[in-house]
Amino acid sequence: MSIALEADRLTKTYGAVRALDEFSIAIPAGGVFGVLGPNGAGKSTLFRIALGLVRPTSGSARLFGTAPGDITALRKVGAMIETPRYPPYLTARDTLTMLALESGAKTADVGGWLERVSLTHAADRATSGFSVGMKQRLGLAAAFLTKPELVILDEPTSGMDPAGIQEIRALIVDLAKREGVTVILASHQLDEVKRVCDRVAILSRGKVVAEGGVAELTAGEARLRLTLTSPLAPALAVLGDRGEADGSDAVLADIPRAEAPAVIRALVEAGAEIVEARWREVDLEGVYLKSLGQTPTATTVEGAA
Amino acid sequence: MLADAIAAERFRLLRDRSTLFWGFCFAPLVGFLLNVGGDLFLRFVIKKPMPGLAVGLVDQVIKALSDGASTFGALFLMIGAAAVLAGDYRWETWRLLTPRNTRQNLLLGKLFVVGEAVFWSLLLSAALSALAALVGSAINGKTVALSLLDRNPFDIVGVLAITWLEAMVLAALAACVGVLSRSTMGVVIACLGVRFVQTILAGAMRAMEQGPPSWKLLSLPVFDADLLRAALLAPDQLGDAGGSAGVALVALLAWAAALTAAAVVLFRRQDLTKE
Repeated sequence: MSIALEADRLTKTYGAVRALDEFSIAIPAGGVFGVLGPNGAGKSTLFRIALGLVRPTSGSARLFGTAPGDITALRKVGAMIETPRYPPYLTARDTLTMLALESGAKTADVGGWLERVSLTHAADRATSGFSVGMKQRLGLAAAFLTKPELVILDEPTSGMDPAGIQEIRALIVDLAKREGVTVILASHQLDEVKRVCDRVAILSRGKVVAEGGVAELTAGEARLRLTLTSPLAPALAVLGDRGEADGSDAVLADIPRAEAPAVIRALVEAGAEIVEARWREVDLEGVYLKSLGQTPTATTVEGAA
Repeated sequence: MLADAIAAERFRLLRDRSTLFWGFCFAPLVGFLLNVGGDLFLRFVIKKPMPGLAVGLVDQVIKALSDGASTFGALFLMIGAAAVLAGDYRWETWRLLTPRNTRQNLLLGKLFVVGEAVFWSLLLSAALSALAALVGSAINGKTVALSLLDRNPFDIVGVLAITWLEAMVLAALAACVGVLSRSTMGVVIACLGVRFVQTILAGAMRAMEQGPPSWKLLSLPVFDADLLRAALLAPDQLGDAGGSAGVALVALLAWAAALTAAAVVLFRRQDLTKE
């Protein structure tokens, strides 16, 4: 499997601030890869280094095996970094034409892309009068315009209305699947990442704190909730460090699914009277919060054991 | 590719009407209006016929071209150059361009387009000065001659090339200052200041020196350009300085190349965290 973006012990400091700290990742080509993290986690810095906007303090980044800023890699990449800005005197059509020329791409595709992001009606208006959502749409068109192999999107739906968000999400998934474009997407919106991404990396303070498929990450975090009619103490004694009381009549067990029958058997043998056993799966937000050292709260999904 | 960067910048500049007008058309238009205004003043305010007066078309054009990179001309050229070279810091649009071409190509593309715009601006100056001479002759009845100073029309090409090179030294300086200051205003002020100081220094040093110009004097692009124009138009009046024309040309080329290289090196190393 080829690697689209690779970072090896990447560090970037801005004065006393360490935006990336010995950061390493290998993002495979194909599919949609989500980068999650709070403000200041290092998402934008990672993208800026990958695109040659910023030089790392130490370590290295490679796009398709070449150094950032290399023309062969740049020709394979489209990007939208943070809220896009445009020369205010250019219309939307002129902006895309200028960017196509800069990339050595066909300017004939400009009209088609304006249509795909629903900006045909504003094609000949100066971008200075555009709303944030319109600027985001134009940024997406600019990112995909040159038919890149990899598209890097930093908060692509920020500032957009709900209908626009759905439309853009569908467009991203469609392009990733139908045209085989690899998309790396940074977002604060966990719901967006869950719906759009195949794999996710969670960043905190310039490091990767969790990485994997969305299902894989959440499945690993499932806990077994056992409701008992007997006192909790014997059950907690059996579970040891892996168990905790959940209210007065239930215990939560951090155990792999494969061990559940054996654990339940041991609990019954210890005198526990179990009236219900359910898997309590932590969703992406729970994984995210736990990765950041915060407590997952009410956003759990329950399922029968 | 550099050709892509040039095409994109050219496309962009042609749509930036404000920069085109103020940077590259305003000074030639002012020159034209002042010339015609002067003739109208003579004709309708002074109201004295001027029989026997003559105007040389080539002389007028050469004068206009020689003034093309004067402090006044440079002010407007630098306004245009600043918008092209440092506008992306102002609009925070480097993030849009940098992932599409190499840093070197992006900056060289901009400089190339500034060079084109300066060339067309100088040509506009030349054309409007010739037109002003013809309009002036119609207003005041002046006789129009090819040249009153016995100048060759091909001298226009030489003066155009020298003034263009002089302006490009300033444009390359503008590229350096643009990268360092990340400010269009910084470019205009710094380049104009350098242009003005050079003029003062060149005048003062020449007045103090005897014989051929010193290396210090020859290191001033403004002096080099003046020396080259004089060597082209009136070589017999140069005296001891005549032998330094070749050095002056090399100095101008060296300044343009060194400043361009410095701008590219600085830009390639620059973090564009917040443009």
